[in-house]
Amino acid sequence: MKCLLIASESAEVLFHWTDLEFQQNIQEQYGASQEEGQGLPAFEDMISTQFAPIIISSSTLVDRQGDSYTSFTTESNHVYVLHQFDECLYIAVNGDGEEKEDDLRRKIYVMKKMIEVLFGMVTLSGALLKRELRPQDTEQRARLWKHLQSLLETYSHLRENDQSFLVEAVERLIHPTLCEQCIEFLERRLVQQLNSSVERAGEEVLHAFILVHTKLLAFYSSRNASTLTTSDLLALIIMAQNMYPSNVDLDDPSPEDVESTSGSGPESFYTPEPSPTDRDSSDSEKPVRGSTPVFEFVDPDVQMAEDSLQTLEVSPPDPSAPRRVFLEVSLKDGLYPMMPHSMYCLPLWPGISLVLLTKVRGRQHSNISTSAVAMSVYKFLEAFAKLEKRLNEGQGSAAARGQLTIHDVRGKLDRFIKALGQSEIQSAHLQQVWTDFKNQAFTKSGSGFTRDLIPWCKKMKTQLCGVYRQCFLTDSGSSDSPRRLSPALQERAQTMVQDKLLDWKDFLLVKSKRNITMVSYLEDFPGLVHFICVDRSTGQMIAPSLSITERTTSELGKGPVAQYIKSKVWAMVNTTRRYLQKGYSTVTLRDGDFYFCYFLWFENETGYKLEAGDIPVLPDDSAPIGMLAWDYYKKLLRYYSKNHQGEAVKCYELLTIHLGVIPTDIILQHCRQLATKLWEPSRNPLL
Amino acid sequence: MHDKLMAELMPPDSGRCNYFFLYDGSKVTGEGDPTREGICYFYPEETPLDRQELLCSQFAGVGRCVSELSSSPVRTLRLRHNKFAIRMKDDFLWALGCSVEVPTVSVCELLDQLINLFCFYNGSVRQSYQLNSQETLAARWARYLSYLQSGSSEMCHIFSCLKTIDSTNVDPLLLLKAALILQACQRCPLVLAGCILFRGRVVSTQMSPELTMKVMVHESETYTKGQRINGPSTSSSFDGAVSSTTVFLTMSELQYLQAAPVDKDFSSHSTPSKNAPPKKTRLSRTLSDTPSTESEPSYPSSSQSPQKASLSPHLSESDTSVSSPTPSQSTADSLNPSPQWLRPPLSNGKHSHEAEEEALDQSYYHSFHNNGDGGSQIHSEGDSSVFGENSHLNGDAACGTVFDFRGTDSENERSHEDKMVAGDSRGCCGTDQGPKAEMKDPSHLPSVFDNLEESPFIGMTLYMHRVKGLVLALLVEPHFLSDAASMEEVYHSSLASLNGLEAHLRTISPGAPGAPGPYMFAHFDCIQSTLTTNLSGRPGGAPEHPFVRATSLLHSHFCNTETLQEAIIRSASAAVYGTRSVAQETYFQQHGGSLRNSGIPNHQDSAFSLPSKARHRLLKHGVNLL
Repeated sequence: MKCLLIASESAEVLFHWTDLEFQQNIQEQYGASQEEGQGLPAFEDMISTQFAPIIISSSTLVDRQGDSYTSFTTESNHVYVLHQFDECLYIAVNGDGEEKEDDLRRKIYVMKKMIEVLFGMVTLSGALLKRELRPQDTEQRARLWKHLQSLLETYSHLRENDQSFLVEAVERLIHPTLCEQCIEFLERRLVQQLNSSVERAGEEVLHAFILVHTKLLAFYSSRNASTLTTSDLLALIIMAQNMYPSNVDLDDPSPEDVESTSGSGPESFYTPEPSPTDRDSSDSEKPVRGSTPVFEFVDPDVQMAEDSLQTLEVSPPDPSAPRRVFLEVSLKDGLYPMMPHSMYCLPLWPGISLVLLTKVRGRQHSNISTSAVAMSVYKFLEAFAKLEKRLNEGQGSAAARGQLTIHDVRGKLDRFIKALGQSEIQSAHLQQVWTDFKNQAFTKSGSGFTRDLIPWCKKMKTQLCGVYRQCFLTDSGSSDSPRRLSPALQERAQTMVQDKLLDWKDFLLVKSKRNITMVSYLEDFPGLVHFICVDRSTGQMIAPSLSITERTTSELGKGPVAQYIKSKVWAMVNTTRRYLQKGYSTVTLRDGDFYFCYFLWFENETGYKLEAGDIPVLPDDSAPIGMLAWDYYKKLLRYYSKNHQGEAVKCYELLTIHLGVIPTDIILQHCRQLATKLWEPSRNPLL
Repeated sequence: MHDKLMAELMPPDSGRCNYFFLYDGSKVTGEGDPTREGICYFYPEETPLDRQELLCSQFAGVGRCVSELSSSPVRTLRLRHNKFAIRMKDDFLWALGCSVEVPTVSVCELLDQLINLFCFYNGSVRQSYQLNSQETLAARWARYLSYLQSGSSEMCHIFSCLKTIDSTNVDPLLLLKAALILQACQRCPLVLAGCILFRGRVVSTQMSPELTMKVMVHESETYTKGQRINGPSTSSSFDGAVSSTTVFLTMSELQYLQAAPVDKDFSSHSTPSKNAPPKKTRLSRTLSDTPSTESEPSYPSSSQSPQKASLSPHLSESDTSVSSPTPSQSTADSLNPSPQWLRPPLSNGKHSHEAEEEALDQSYYHSFHNNGDGGSQIHSEGDSSVFGENSHLNGDAACGTVFDFRGTDSENERSHEDKMVAGDSRGCCGTDQGPKAEMKDPSHLPSVFDNLEESPFIGMTLYMHRVKGLVLALLVEPHFLSDAASMEEVYHSSLASLNGLEAHLRTISPGAPGAPGPYMFAHFDCIQSTLTTNLSGRPGGAPEHPFVRATSLLHSHFCNTETLQEAIIRSASAAVYGTRSVAQETYFQQHGGSLRNSGIPNHQDSAFSLPSKARHRLLKHGVNLL
């Protein structure tokens, strides 16, 4: 009984995802208030009607009370969580008790993150985002929503089953020699060849990594690339898993499977990047390849309205087309979020993929590079957002500061628009709005720097986002010279890596299931049931595997005990997050037959443990703690580092579960040893 | 003394609750109906009207929408700066808002308490609004709310506890004396149970904590307003020291009170015969741990036979009709609630663990209801006798005779009574596991479910006898006030003892507050709903705030996780230890325990020595954690 909904202020549904139970619930309720003989309208209309009172009430409260709903619960323990991001209201519902308020809030933030990764800075303009999320063309809308729904489902599945996504950190396969070899291979052979090939059509490979299920075998970033943030990496893993889902029940690939994995992966139902022929940002978009639609299997027992059935038609994607993703880049002069990249996800074998991230090349005939466009747009957007905020705060020095910001960018923006005018990008609208803005702000007849200028700020933002969108979200330009690595080149890359890893394939698949096992720890740490250790500076985790499936076993076996431990681990992580949110960095709990410990501490680069500091206390409805939706730990480190200027500070977390009968002294000793020894570089003596 | 008491009752600035309102949606059905018609009461009263209307209309709308989507009423509603507990019933919507720091379970509990309090003094909500004006009832809501908020320290935002006298300062014999007074009063068959209060604090009580708290509200009212007689009968013959008011009990409350095996004399003149062995009577709940056996000898042990004899004529005389403000004819059903017991939450959000006790309860309640079926005719009375002076609860006939496990039906009411009575002595002795077990019966505690479902309210009377700062409050049958003999008996038998008790209690000096010591603790007794703490209770005391915040978090955690036994949480500046069992929750913090290391696991960290320190130090406060 689950649902996630994104709505505009006028109760228009911009996206929805429901499970079957919730769908039926809505249909029943709507049907109850319908007259006889009338068919049910489209599901999105039904859900819009049912939720409309909440959405409208929410905006009323914001307008008139300056407060907003964050959650509801009912006597039957249904939970509703609401969050407003700019002009969109996200609502997540759970009625089957499997998700609590924290889980739903996390889901909302992750959804937003995925939308940012897919749409980039367009998300900063409410008007444009609404149009992106809800295209006019119903077919396209259906495809887009299907894709987003599928991503959400992939995320939920990973969240419930994968420790990486539980603690939001990446797990690396631990095999020092192989990993080193792979990284070298990626650097010296693969990426170099790709970047020097003529078929790369101007793309430059920045990052390359090999995934085994959700675990990282090797990761290479080129020298002039900025580090890929953990948040983006996790988002990319979700996308990779979404494209090529790890079928955990079939982790032993049979011979037949091997043949079928060349080229495109199995069962992909996702849309290609829309490639329209004209550049007007408001029209509908059609796919370049008009392949025949494929009917997805529909359960005949599910009663659905006629038109909603049609929305299940999806066309198979073009496997060699990369996905546009927007990732954070940090340069000397600052942080630039949502910079355009292309993602190539090349399946090697079921469960093993090669992912390449390339920098988007500029248009062939333009005189400004794409990265310059993106960076400039971001800087201008930031300026207008800041101005808007200052104007909202009131008159006085705030407005004066706002003026300064715009004066700074005025000249640059003039130049930028002039440069755009000479390129293929349509910038007439932007020019017009900028002129109007200047009139409003700088001339005597205009409103000056007052609250009245705010709508103009919004318009400027929309226009800037429109330019951005033109550049990066649409694939204008002749379709016969697409700007991406040629299919042949991609295939060659695939083959290269396959050859390299052929002998290791089976080992890797097994290793990903049993990266670390408890067996090696039981002798030194009797009574230890499980642990998770995370390096929050690099976003890496170490933990014994905890997969509970039919075929794989861990030391806990299968069956109710293993399931129980798993549920305890999941609950424990949620609990410790709640305490961390309130400023408690050490928590020990005696719960039933087990004793749980959680520690968070800071170290400097040499491993010296720094003194503990105060952890800021956050309100209940703050963004969820983790690294995927936003990087809480980066902020924490920055906060802590204020008192430790000049040295690099790292942050670690350790979570352990022991049997309750072990004396606490011993438990703490174990924790101490684990904390110090787990991150010992390269040769891990405990393995 | 008067001033001291007044000071205690004065509500501080930081109340527990930021908003409270009751909204009646049935008054605002048409498009043109202004929202203000539906606002029955809004706190803070000085809130501008448009703001009131905004909140009420928005909450009502959203509440309706969500409850339709989920087919279940809304329970909590959170905004960014406030969290609200919600109750929805018919067209009524209650909302109580507190700051987001207060645990959600506590906010919900406070709202339920408030509603229960209203129903205790006014009966069914819908009926009350039909019979009284909005203004009258608004004034009452205001009174109840201000009582619940009065004297609240930050700890009281988390735990709802009874204000009791400091038992460490009082000679236990005085407490025993108070208990005996109550037991003596209880011998009158028209008296159900009572409590003794001194300066607004509980000295001894025979009722559940929830019921005691409700009674205390009236006591504080009569004290602050001077003595005013409020009720259908006056008792000027007692120099105005006695007052009374009507109250309403729910079925479960009544059954709980009547579940006590009480020694009922029909009159004070009956000479007890020694045929039967003395029953183990239930000691009223004092603050000392003295078990029930100690008080036996002073009792006149009465046998079953006079009781049997006394009860039968009693029955035949009785006009068995239930007084209830609800004029409906569904009362036949109402006496037979389904054996499927609605499990009301225990105080502070916990649920009972004793499954077998539940089975126990169900079996004899079932029998009680069957008995009730045979034994009563329920009339619906007119408005004039809504407070039913001559009404008599059918269940009263079975008072003290409820322990029949066989739970058999019977056509003949009288023979059934006999069987019940006979079974009683065996039953109660057999099942009496001591005061603790009886006190722990959660299913008897009235929940807001009872108050909000259409279970009928049974009108009783609250009788109060005041001797300066000491008050004897008894829940009595409504016609007690017209029964001069009983009134005389109760008044005079207790007068001397009350005077003596009052004199003793008055002379007790408050006791020097002990040196705070290098630690802070809070100990909550879940059974008695009492809080023991060494916090000063001043709102916003700076060094105490982190401890209160930690306690609040831990308390929520304990409520949500039944299996959690102990927890230690540490921030850079302080570490707090919390432990709990079925009967108690204890929180402990040692001063000066700042983290000297990095937070990496260290068994020498002072945080991990908290459990043993707590056990050691709290012994002298009477808290046994071993």
